[in-house]
Amino acid sequence: MNSRRDFLKHISGAALVASAAPSILTWALPQGQSVPVPGEDGMILRSFRFVDLEAPVEYFNTWLTPVPHFFVRNHMHEPSELGAGDWRVTVGGEVEKPLTLSLAELSKIESHSVVNTLECAGNGRSLHRPQVPGIQWGKGAVGTARFSGPRLRDVLQRAGVKSTGNHVMFRGLDEVPGKVPPFIRSIPMEKALDADTLLATHMNGFPLTKHHGFPARALVPGWIGAASCKWLTEIKVLDAEFVGNFMSTGYRLPNQPVKPGDAVKPEDTHPVTALNVKSVIAGPSDGASLKTGKVAVHGAAWAGEADIAKVEVSTDGGATWSPAKLGHDQAQYAWRLWSYEWKPAKVGDYTLLSRATDSLGRTQPATAVWNPSGYLYNAVDQVKIHVS
Amino acid sequence: MSPNVQKSAARTLPAAGILALAAALPFMAMAQKPVPANLTADLPAGPLQAKATTACLECHEARIILQQRLSKTAWTKEVDKMTKWGAVVDPADRDAIIDYLSSNFSPDKPAYDAQRTSPDKSGSGKSK
Repeated sequence: MNSRRDFLKHISGAALVASAAPSILTWALPQGQSVPVPGEDGMILRSFRFVDLEAPVEYFNTWLTPVPHFFVRNHMHEPSELGAGDWRVTVGGEVEKPLTLSLAELSKIESHSVVNTLECAGNGRSLHRPQVPGIQWGKGAVGTARFSGPRLRDVLQRAGVKSTGNHVMFRGLDEVPGKVPPFIRSIPMEKALDADTLLATHMNGFPLTKHHGFPARALVPGWIGAASCKWLTEIKVLDAEFVGNFMSTGYRLPNQPVKPGDAVKPEDTHPVTALNVKSVIAGPSDGASLKTGKVAVHGAAWAGEADIAKVEVSTDGGATWSPAKLGHDQAQYAWRLWSYEWKPAKVGDYTLLSRATDSLGRTQPATAVWNPSGYLYNAVDQVKIHVS
Repeated sequence: MSPNVQKSAARTLPAAGILALAAALPFMAMAQKPVPANLTADLPAGPLQAKATTACLECHEARIILQQRLSKTAWTKEVDKMTKWGAVVDPADRDAIIDYLSSNFSPDKPAYDAQRTSPDKSGSGKSK
């Protein structure tokens, strides 16, 4: 027994070294035991190989999310070889003067900072009914950080975008298993030239960690996380939207709502771009048992490129709503923390709801719009608690 | 630690993989501080476990599958997509693998209970 435990211990160390290379060696994991992932703190483990980590909603109580609490979404294996000295990013395609930049050269270009709420398009996927395939995120594939680095437009200007350049493609260094299509996507030129679209090298003042795209990633503020390509190695200016699995098939929404089972033609879909309006209750936790007295109902609300106009809270299952107080910290693409002080009148079971409305007049719906890949879940949030 | 899980571990460790890694251990142990076991999970027991392990876990680990709750139609699409993407599935086994996945991971099964990563003691990268 002991010898096997020791053996497994050694094996796992070896497997960690070899983790970038595909391996079919697996072993069972006792339920309830936490899994060590260096640099990550108490995250919900959706997958270890490749790494997909979700934040428990209880973590959404700071405006800036500490990096060890920031969700990680990898489509592939992380690059096995990454050196700050060897790394280069190329800029090519429809440009006058193709470029190759080292990290040192990138760091000489004026740096800009954007506080951005980054959310996976599939956040909340597990809450869609019927269920759809994909990482079964709960509510925590979202976080807010201060991203810093040169503006993409400053780099594109050095290369000189031709008049034929309409889209900008990003390719990362993720390692593709089997015959899986590479993770390549593109953004329209207008968004690429936005003053807040970055080649981010830092997150909350520290160099990016490997999980978050070291040494440089795209940062496309207000848009789904998939737009912000990690471990950037190639920037290519294209005359049209990139054609490939993660642009032409994945990360698309039907133009009109569809029913489960309906066939959707590719020409009747569009790429998912900006995030929609959403709020999440960080506390009290779902299922909590509280004593009578003051209760701080609190959480975060965000709206992609739009601003949060208000957050309302219901403590009676949606019969009546009261405005929550919005936190002081704000930035164009960042979430607002919110809180509502509630004093339950009597003991019993309560359903607490939160509902955000943004500057475009969009309000969270009671039921999210179902779609075949489970993107942009944004129904009114809900927790059930007991007061005794 | 659940006894069932232990048994499952003993049954499914592929012998060739153990030997290959065991041979490399002395060198790797120097390079890497040992960490606790059990980083990835297993597929459930059954006649198709080994074939599904070969087909699916070459590219990703079992948790990606364990957390799905899908209809047979949806599992069929997934298996065919993954086969196109390089999963090694003998055409003679396709239907059985679909049955294995859709019976173990159907919408009526209880929700998957995900584990947590360990607490981070270093505090590195934290911000205020």
